[in-house]
Amino acid sequence: MNRLRDKRVLMAVGLVAVLTLTLVLPAISPESATTNMAVFTLMYVGLATAWNIMGGYTGYISLGHAGFFGFGAYALGLLLARLSIAGGYAPFLFVPVAGLLTGLMAAGVGWFALRTRAATFVIVTIAFMFMLQLLAENLTSLTGGGAGLGFPNPPWRGDFFNIPFYYAMLALAVLGLAVSWSIRRSKFGLGLLAIRDDEDKALAVGVPARAFKLTAFVISATLVGMIGSVYGYYVTFIYPQFVVDPLIGISMVLMVFLGGLGTLWGPVLGAVILEPAQLWLAYNYGASRLYLVLYSAVFLLVILLMPRGIIPSVRDLIAERRASAPAARAGAAP
Amino acid sequence: MTLVLEAAVLGILTGGVYALMASGLTLIFGVMRIINVGHGALVILGAYLSFVLWRNLSIDPFVSLVVTMPVMFVLGVILQVVFIRPLKTDREALSVLVTYSIALGIEGLLGYFFSSNYLQITAWYDTASFPIGDFRITYVYIYGFLLCLAILGAIFLMLYRTTFGGAIRATMLNRTAAQLVGIDVDRVSAIAFGIGMATAAAGGVVFGITNTFNPGSHYDLISRLLTIIVLGGLGSLRGAIIAALVMLVIEDITAVVISPVWASFVFFVILVAVLLVRPQGLFGLRVRERL
Amino acid sequence: MRRALIATVAGACLALTACGGGGTATATPSSGTPITIGVSVSLTGDFSSDGPALQKGYDLWAADVNKKGGLLGHQVTMKYVDDASSTTQVVTNYENLISSDKVALVFGPYSSLLTKPAATRVDRLGYAFPEPAGGAPSVFALGLHSLFFVQPAAIEDNLVSYTNWLLSLPADQRPKTAAYATEDDPFTQPQVDKAKSLLEAAGVQTVSYKVYPAETTDFTPLALKVASSKADAVILGTQVPDAIAFVKTFITQHYNPKTLIETAGPDQGASYSDKLKANTEGIMVPAGWASGSQAYGNPTFVSEYVSKYGGSAADISADSAEAYSVGQVVDQAATKAGSIDNQKLIDTLHSGTYQTVQGPMGWDSVGKPQGGVGVFVEQWQNGTAVFVYPSTVAAAQPEYPKHDWQ
Repeated sequence: MNRLRDKRVLMAVGLVAVLTLTLVLPAISPESATTNMAVFTLMYVGLATAWNIMGGYTGYISLGHAGFFGFGAYALGLLLARLSIAGGYAPFLFVPVAGLLTGLMAAGVGWFALRTRAATFVIVTIAFMFMLQLLAENLTSLTGGGAGLGFPNPPWRGDFFNIPFYYAMLALAVLGLAVSWSIRRSKFGLGLLAIRDDEDKALAVGVPARAFKLTAFVISATLVGMIGSVYGYYVTFIYPQFVVDPLIGISMVLMVFLGGLGTLWGPVLGAVILEPAQLWLAYNYGASRLYLVLYSAVFLLVILLMPRGIIPSVRDLIAERRASAPAARAGAAP
Repeated sequence: MTLVLEAAVLGILTGGVYALMASGLTLIFGVMRIINVGHGALVILGAYLSFVLWRNLSIDPFVSLVVTMPVMFVLGVILQVVFIRPLKTDREALSVLVTYSIALGIEGLLGYFFSSNYLQITAWYDTASFPIGDFRITYVYIYGFLLCLAILGAIFLMLYRTTFGGAIRATMLNRTAAQLVGIDVDRVSAIAFGIGMATAAAGGVVFGITNTFNPGSHYDLISRLLTIIVLGGLGSLRGAIIAALVMLVIEDITAVVISPVWASFVFFVILVAVLLVRPQGLFGLRVRERL
Repeated sequence: MRRALIATVAGACLALTACGGGGTATATPSSGTPITIGVSVSLTGDFSSDGPALQKGYDLWAADVNKKGGLLGHQVTMKYVDDASSTTQVVTNYENLISSDKVALVFGPYSSLLTKPAATRVDRLGYAFPEPAGGAPSVFALGLHSLFFVQPAAIEDNLVSYTNWLLSLPADQRPKTAAYATEDDPFTQPQVDKAKSLLEAAGVQTVSYKVYPAETTDFTPLALKVASSKADAVILGTQVPDAIAFVKTFITQHYNPKTLIETAGPDQGASYSDKLKANTEGIMVPAGWASGSQAYGNPTFVSEYVSKYGGSAADISADSAEAYSVGQVVDQAATKAGSIDNQKLIDTLHSGTYQTVQGPMGWDSVGKPQGGVGVFVEQWQNGTAVFVYPSTVAAAQPEYPKHDWQ
């Protein structure tokens, strides 16, 4: 009992420490190079966490989440343009609207895509992503097509510019984690995990699989759409091929697998490791073109050595240790 | 009207290459139940191999297949043994990530050795053409199409006329049962992956003659190939071939009749429409398993 | 615990507001110290064939300026980072170059596409942004005071010389019909659209007009469409790969338009002519720069390029000349301002005229080139691209109608 409480306290303290650190980071290191990297890292923390709600909990692998990311970005960009909202803090108020629109679209896509399972589902999500990309490209009068869509220019100058975006991304990442955490603890979450283990069996014991899957899909897409909309405002100019980018979709998946599929903190860990590494590698070694090789080699190694991701593998390792020395542990506990 | 016919002919000719590439992909899926996201990158690798043989040793791109197909076969077997076979849990998802990583690695290496300039394999006869009415067809398209037909024919012969082909078909039908009747499923998988790579090499040559390519070309290619094999029904060779031809014909007709910007879109719309009616694709597994 | 947390957060917020007012102060290096100039170039991805050409131009300029004692006495080192032709990376790159590497100056990347997100970043951080390749109307629509497009004209006007030439032909020889195809790209489409409206206004009938996505790799159906229109004039909004593919299909279809112009591709020297050999004959391209031009510093640039990278003058990409011009402009502005402080450079560049290998130019308040001599028409003749129009700069007579394919 005691040990459990100790562990809880320890975790709470750790959580508060991490949160405090992320809250004050821009004060410690206000250079825009650092905050820029932090914005992208937090963006992927949010994206991976959101993807995990669908992919990790239900086992349905979507490689098309970049479509929702881009949809969110275009939704916000178009809203701001149509309503003539000037740059500043006001556009952030429309982020939830962009998320909601993305969720609506995802409900339609999901209704259709979730008729398929496994490999077919994976490919259908890819096809949807490319359809959205093509629409963004072809509906020129609406989206601007290949010439891109501009966002209002915020009035902030210098290093301060990145900071509002940093907190927006942080808020979305925390929101994603809170949603993910509460789903895991709910009956709904149990249903999702049952679907992942064996969908037919889950159906047999009365889990409304279709409704559950669709709900998870929509929640996941809504979060991704909101994050995409902040990204669009941040880079100020979006293009179909860069905002509906298959690489963004696959990056979220890689991060979740690296950290631990279906765990709460796995996606966070994966994002915090991979995104800075990728930005740094591309910046310092991009010119040699070998960074892709390096990236792929590291990834292959991780998958082959820790196919379940870092968190589950480490947890197993600790459990093994503990099992081998139970007496010593019990003695040490106060 | 003639323009539509021209587009249809062109669609069939280019569809042949896609049929070849997609059949390798669907074969790999059928035998191993994995999606080889790296297939596009391996096709591009095949194109670069032929490009090098042509540029440095002046070997005709079609003749170079004598070298590149066996090389890619061996590479395929090695990739399967080293990277795919060790996957035990979550194979479907992990294989996507592994093959994607392989694709990135290949893209990086090709970029390192060749830079990212667009290339095209150009044979001396590549602008030679013959007329059909008002319209001229390039010989290269015909050669490419015939080559694809020949290789597809060889694959069908192998599958339906040899003992090893029987083992492959049995594995595709039911992996566990095949294992029970004494088929070495691991060996079948490795060789099937090798065959898939050899077809990628052949597809690469034809793709490299008719399209410009650079190390990043595989993204576009793989999205089309995946759409084709899902439309045809995962694991169905016949489905992949028919789907490839249908898709390319419709795409090329859309390009000339409506607009090129909508051509690829129609590609995906057809996929969605077919899946609405038949979630298993045109010649999907569900049907075949019932037979 | 909670109180401590609140206190920390409040402190952080205070600190933030304190930083907020400041912004990055661009420190001016004291004279004589070496400086670094940062550029994000596309070495991988869609623009990876133009990135290296840009790099060569910048490198040549840096070598030149160092030989004559540096930029206002500062020896120059170029720092290149790859943006993989992606907007996320190009933003990250300029942030890093300026705020982490603390480079003294930054130069522009390749294409309007990447220039737009990069320019807003650079502007915010108080740097001048002379750039060689972002000239789409939407770039100037950003309204940035720190941006300078170093080409003789905004790109939408690139084909104006060409249409003037076509319409100057005797009425019985002038093309009656025209076919257009363009990539959906902020660089190509505005040029083609403007040419189309000018020609239509003058009575040249449009028989085909197609816009195609930038990702297209198989251009045959499109080229067939153009060929089957049997138009007298063909105007293509291309980059390098499609520029070659279209011509190849025209050759196989034995389609011989009277005149053919491509927005980019034929200006890329050997990387274009290698693929088409003798069939480049008669193909036109709008160009602000020609290897044979006697503009400021151009003969030196050409001879140095050839001695450093080999090949012949005809192999030089216009991208390299445009990048070289960026350096020339900055050099003159620094001398005039007596400083390499970014704010002073911005103010200086907004007044007066600057000499480049592409001829003289100046800028309006949003960086649109003014007072340049404009963009000319270049035509491949006997294996080299030469200026053929207007006659004030022409090195040869335009060949019209274009010879049949060989």
